[in-house]
Amino acid sequence: MKLIVGIVKPFKVDDVKDAVKDLGVQGLTVSDVQGFGRQRGHTEVYRGAEYTIDFVPKVRVEILVDDNDVDRVVTRLIETARTGKIGDGKVWVVPVEQAWRIRTGESGPDAL
Amino acid sequence: MSRDPTRSDSLRAARAELVASKEVRGASFGRALSNLVDHALIDATTALGARGRSWALVALGSYARRELCPGSDLDVMLLHAGGRRTSSLRDDAAQLWYPLWDAGFVLGHSTRTVKEALSVADDDLDALTALLDTRLVAGDDDLFGDLSDRIRRLAPKRRNRLIDDLAGRAAARVEEPGPIAEMLEPDLKVGAGGLRDIQGPGWIGWGLGPDPGGPGAIPGRGGWSTGVATLVTLGYLRDEDRTRLHEARDVLLDARVALHRVTAGRSDRLALQDQDAVAQLVGAPNADVFIRAVGEAARAVMWITGDLWSRLRALRRGPGTRGTGVRPVGDGIVVRDERLALEADASLDTASVLELGAEAARRELPIERETLARIRDLHDVEWTDGARDAFVALLAAGRGAIAVFEALDHEGVLVRLLPEWEHVRARPQRNAYHRFTVDRHSLEAVAECAAIRGGDGFDGVVARRVRADLLLLAALLHDIGKGRPGDHSEVGAQVAEALCARIGLDHAGTRVVVWLVRNHLLLADMATRRDLSDECTITRFARAVGDTERLDLLYALTIGDSRATGSAAWSSNKATLVRELFSKTDALLEAGVIGSESTEQRRQELAALVGTGADEYLDAMPPGYTTAFTASELARHRDLIAARALAVEWDDLDDGRLRCTVVAPDRTGLLATVAGSLSLVGFDIEAASGYTHHDNMALEVFAGRDRYDRLRDAAGRERFAATLAGALTGELALQDRLRERTRRYRPSGSRPTARDVRVDVDNEASAFATVVEVHAPDDVGLLARVAAVFVDLGLDVTQAIVSTLGDRVVDVFYLRDATGQKLTDRLAVESLRATLLARLTTAVTLD
Repeated sequence: MKLIVGIVKPFKVDDVKDAVKDLGVQGLTVSDVQGFGRQRGHTEVYRGAEYTIDFVPKVRVEILVDDNDVDRVVTRLIETARTGKIGDGKVWVVPVEQAWRIRTGESGPDAL
Repeated sequence: MSRDPTRSDSLRAARAELVASKEVRGASFGRALSNLVDHALIDATTALGARGRSWALVALGSYARRELCPGSDLDVMLLHAGGRRTSSLRDDAAQLWYPLWDAGFVLGHSTRTVKEALSVADDDLDALTALLDTRLVAGDDDLFGDLSDRIRRLAPKRRNRLIDDLAGRAAARVEEPGPIAEMLEPDLKVGAGGLRDIQGPGWIGWGLGPDPGGPGAIPGRGGWSTGVATLVTLGYLRDEDRTRLHEARDVLLDARVALHRVTAGRSDRLALQDQDAVAQLVGAPNADVFIRAVGEAARAVMWITGDLWSRLRALRRGPGTRGTGVRPVGDGIVVRDERLALEADASLDTASVLELGAEAARRELPIERETLARIRDLHDVEWTDGARDAFVALLAAGRGAIAVFEALDHEGVLVRLLPEWEHVRARPQRNAYHRFTVDRHSLEAVAECAAIRGGDGFDGVVARRVRADLLLLAALLHDIGKGRPGDHSEVGAQVAEALCARIGLDHAGTRVVVWLVRNHLLLADMATRRDLSDECTITRFARAVGDTERLDLLYALTIGDSRATGSAAWSSNKATLVRELFSKTDALLEAGVIGSESTEQRRQELAALVGTGADEYLDAMPPGYTTAFTASELARHRDLIAARALAVEWDDLDDGRLRCTVVAPDRTGLLATVAGSLSLVGFDIEAASGYTHHDNMALEVFAGRDRYDRLRDAAGRERFAATLAGALTGELALQDRLRERTRRYRPSGSRPTARDVRVDVDNEASAFATVVEVHAPDDVGLLARVAAVFVDLGLDVTQAIVSTLGDRVVDVFYLRDATGQKLTDRLAVESLRATLLARLTTAVTLD
């Protein structure tokens, strides 16, 4: 099993959800996160009022998948989240030792 | 004595049967279960009675009140006369409790003499209040009577502590767990307006009551009704208050018994997932109707008891202390004993009532009971200017306005002032975001908006720019369409329109409020669901908003609404996105290129020519494009761009000049190539503009003079088309040819110096691009040379405006770097400026 972690632009999260659902992914977790990559924070001034953006809002998407599904899901995630502009985000994959479904106690791929 | 298993088994079975008998509801259930327990206890007391000792078995708390719910604890006390037989009595008492334990009750029990019980009550207020709710189950009536009389004499001595403590706890319940009427998952027992709040008046009645033996004594031995009867006799409650408390108790008990049935007695909190099942058990048509009924009951309780506590606190402070006395604070309005009142001779009309409300809200003081009773007679609502101003002042008071609204609501005046309010009163909302019912959420939004206006920082600056009345009215009315069929924003806008007209808001203001109600979700939706780095998003949104006044209002309303909704609805991420969309749109609207009459007119003209695709096309072009051309020219451009191929068109202008329109797939350096090709064929560019369509097509339009008359005929124009095509494919060495030509034709002695050239870089003019202005003496191939600098630095030109003023040229370029961002880096800006200056002053002499 692998955990796919994606950092995507907030407005892309619905598209990502729909796209991986189409691939048969059973569930995903999203959370609001902030950070910076090459797209830095900056200070904005509008009509006398100033504010600083240190970190840029992003959504973190986590999907637990079977090893065989990693490539498909990652490819689809990248296709869907891409706008071609700076700040599109990142995706990485980490190995998962074990997983359980709390309700039934099932483990391994059965728990996905 | 041995334990009797059959006794506890039969009690357990009888209790289970009663819980399963779903037709026995609420107060009836409480009585039935209390009777069962009574019988079981009386059965068990045979062991005690046989030995001729004096004892009394006393029920306490909800068991004393016969208000047991399926999951209620039992509180019982064995009262005895003391003496040497005490220890054997304690042993025997255990025999009383076993059947209850075995039957599965959670039992609180004690064995005490009257003296012990009094001593505990003297030390501990909880023990005192517990002994104010008592009932004799079995045993010696005199012994019980002795305890009850003494407790009733003790309570008035603890009056002040009782008031402080009970009032303090009631106030704490408003904060946590919160008002039942306004929470979506209310706690029926300890939520504000719940069963605990109903008990308070019963207890405090004993604290105020006359001596049970003395004159004016109120019959009865304890319990809620006697305590409340005392309050009514003393004038702290009205008779109708007692009736309403009674009715509310029945509604809440009914709900609690049903909830315990659904959750097997585990919880007093009416969770969303259980509301359907509970509603069914109490015979309500659906969960919404049920929750509203519970909310109405709790609202009445909260209001009656809240008012009671605040008056008792004033009594506790006593006369002569600070805060008493009468102070006039307005026209016919006085502060009397720290409460707002209308003077007896003051006129009662819509304006005076609302002025009173505004004063009460501003000072965060309650309104006097007698004054409220008078207000109730306000039947003829008349919205004068004064009334409307007072209403806005009430809203502007922020958080203080909530209590005033509740008071007006309780007296039935609110729905007379705003009949539309009826639909949202105590209306639950079923989603994971909301914390409050619709009416309370709306008031919270008003309070939040008022707070933003008084706040620091960016949001405060924006919120203070707007008309306060419009913001506050929009906050109050933004969800007024909820509970009616149809989209609540759309329906709400219609309701708001009628309401604003009725209260006499000016026409322009009404239009804005109606627009805000209709679009109150627009900013939050667009900010979270659209690509804010796409200029097209901003253009569309800016067009939907129309002007900066509405944008400022919508921004403040969005924050107020979101904060009032609940923590899930307002994260710092959402705040950042909303502010980004706001700021980008603000910049666009400030520049005046969106929302002006001329752009609207041009849009309509184009729509007349090409139909519904007009807006889509113009939204995909930079904002300044719309008014730069006539509608028929826009239509022609649209066709060329839709073809997605290189196209060159020529027109003769009225002043003898020529115009060249080029459409091509966009790429870095396109402007430089086209401008260079034009120079090469002898076209002196006097004016130029370039725009990039959202779908990566570039439109470039040049006006100028055909120096050698080579471009008047089709052959000449074809030569140019071939030159351009060659330059674009790279077959033609454009830069070399251009340099050669420049050398040949440059007027002698006119080499520009650094003093002649000025380069301004502005990063604030546009949200999406760095704007560079180049001022320079007119020169052959100037535009091509400037554009070539951008190519060398890897910059993209998204829009260009070139004009020639006499012998000087002013070129304005909108630039982005390779990643599509503005040039925010100081070094990048400086290097651009230096390169431009160098090339424009010395480029020719270098080769």
